[in-house]
Amino acid sequence: MTEEELTSQIIDKKAYKTEIARNYTKFLSKYPEIFSDLINGSNFDFALYDSIETYDKESPVDIFNVYRNGNGIEIKPGRAVDSDLELALSLDAVKKLIQTKTKVDYAQLLGLFYDNPDEEKGWIDFVLHKRTQTLINMGYGKFAQTAGILKDDDDI
Amino acid sequence: MAKVQELEIKNKYTGELIGTIPADTPETVNEKIKKVHKNQHLLKEMDFFERAQLLSKFATKLRFKKSQLKDLVVAEGGLPIKYSEWELNIVMNGFKFCDWYYQFLEEKPLTSIEGEQLVRIRYIPHGLAACISPRNTPISLPLYQLGANYLVGNGAIVKPSTACPLTMLEAYSIMEEMDLPALGALDLVIAPGEWAVDEFLKSPLVKTLMTITASHTAKDILVRYGRFLKKTVDKSMGFPMYTQPFKHFFFECAGNDAGIVMDDVNLEQVAKWNVTASYTNSGQQCFSMKRIIVHKDIYDQYIECLVKEMENLKYGDPTDPDTDIGPLGSRRILMMMEVMVADAKKFGAKIFTGAEKIDTGEDYGLFYKPTLVEIKPELCEDLTKAPFLWKEEAFGPVRSITKANDMKDAIRLANASNYGMRAVIYTSNLNNIEIFKNELEAANIYINARPMLVDITVSLGGIKDSAYPAGCKYYPQELVYGKYIYDGTPLNLEKIK
Repeated sequence: MTEEELTSQIIDKKAYKTEIARNYTKFLSKYPEIFSDLINGSNFDFALYDSIETYDKESPVDIFNVYRNGNGIEIKPGRAVDSDLELALSLDAVKKLIQTKTKVDYAQLLGLFYDNPDEEKGWIDFVLHKRTQTLINMGYGKFAQTAGILKDDDDI
Repeated sequence: MAKVQELEIKNKYTGELIGTIPADTPETVNEKIKKVHKNQHLLKEMDFFERAQLLSKFATKLRFKKSQLKDLVVAEGGLPIKYSEWELNIVMNGFKFCDWYYQFLEEKPLTSIEGEQLVRIRYIPHGLAACISPRNTPISLPLYQLGANYLVGNGAIVKPSTACPLTMLEAYSIMEEMDLPALGALDLVIAPGEWAVDEFLKSPLVKTLMTITASHTAKDILVRYGRFLKKTVDKSMGFPMYTQPFKHFFFECAGNDAGIVMDDVNLEQVAKWNVTASYTNSGQQCFSMKRIIVHKDIYDQYIECLVKEMENLKYGDPTDPDTDIGPLGSRRILMMMEVMVADAKKFGAKIFTGAEKIDTGEDYGLFYKPTLVEIKPELCEDLTKAPFLWKEEAFGPVRSITKANDMKDAIRLANASNYGMRAVIYTSNLNNIEIFKNELEAANIYINARPMLVDITVSLGGIKDSAYPAGCKYYPQELVYGKYIYDGTPLNLEKIK
């Protein structure tokens, strides 16, 4: 399947607790190709936090999950049943991410929030729920690279 | 030796005092050993994956403090800020995904010729490890030592370099802030290696001594342990019985890595990578392309490319994001570079660039310009007669370059070394690549790879005088032993009932 053929679907749009989560799902649904490296059946959470403290307490203000099916992605409210990992994002980060105009800009900003997390300006993190090796085999390493999270600069 | 009560840590570039910290004494070192030993059981109350998850969380905390840690690495280590980013990223990635190392520790069933699976190899932590870290990496190596032990379930004491202990102290305080479970089984010792190593050697509670140091220092540690053992001899049975046990020694030592450049590559690109591989962190790295071996047909042209790249390197203030070369870590390094260049000159060596110093007359702000020295190939074979620059590790920004007639000759020159940490080749010839894989004497070899990879698969270790025990290494692998378990219960339970 080529990238262009991927579809996206937002399930149960009314079930989100926050407007920002709804907007983020709309944003992600525009770029299902971001998830093209993941194998079918991959499923992970996007958890939105209003502070580092709530992140430490694992108490997100809103959460949804992205499921990679045969055709593309399904975005569903709540946690995944058997989540592969959690991508944690501060609300400030999400506000800025959804304003990006292209998937390249989105990836760059996501990478910046991972590389230089800032409690005020925005941050992202992720928590692995499965073994690193399993996640690599599911395509998450490549996904993280495409999404701008993992990078290995050509020159130091 | 006098035991100082306080240590003053100075900025390596400006000389400004950046911290005064209490130093350990032999008594406090032994108290820490006892405390860590006593708390070691806390680690065993968690399984590997719980400990991995906690280290992964710690990696997140580190990332949030990255900017502060980077500033410390730059100030006390003198590393240019752009390199300190690499130093932190490599350790944060390693911790974030540390469960990856489980593949080396996973219990393995063995199948007998009869097809029975009664045997398993289980990996057991050795026990308390005392670890000594070098000056050139204020955080990555000492934190790896601490983290690898935590991961496998060993209590650990890490002694960072007294020249730059602040970054590690900060990392440890982050562990305290996050209330890392079983932190009582980890501690830091702030003391000079000269006597701290003796305390580690003498303590029967210390099962492993893990050091990252010069090969000669590592050998000296073995000699010291031998002397200590000798003092413990009991001759009451009529023959010498050594009352103190074996220790597990794990040494990461010097490198004198060869880099081969053949005549079938893009010289500008390879020269760019070569400069990064050779001069990053002012060449103060065990893994660094120290001996450059170039095919004769492109030798002059390659040197031209290399010198051009070298002269683009900016040296000076390490806080400047454009700075490539920061100050040297100590006056000793400056002296060593001068001695090596002077010695090479006695052999008629040609200096293509560099060989200039900036000496403030103090113990800070010291620089040696990136230097390239030609060593004639005929001087490289017999190591008893070769220039120091060829046969010993140049732990600073001076590199040797020599000429090879062909691939066979390049391998011969590369193997003419007492060290075998890493080596790299640049060639597009597949036959040469196979020769390199089979014949190059080093524990880690790279083919057409760009330098300074941030990749969890990157291994350490070495052969010859570069590491003991020999081989490519992942720390967790070295901190456990394999236990052979034959369980005949399925076959014999009825018989023995």
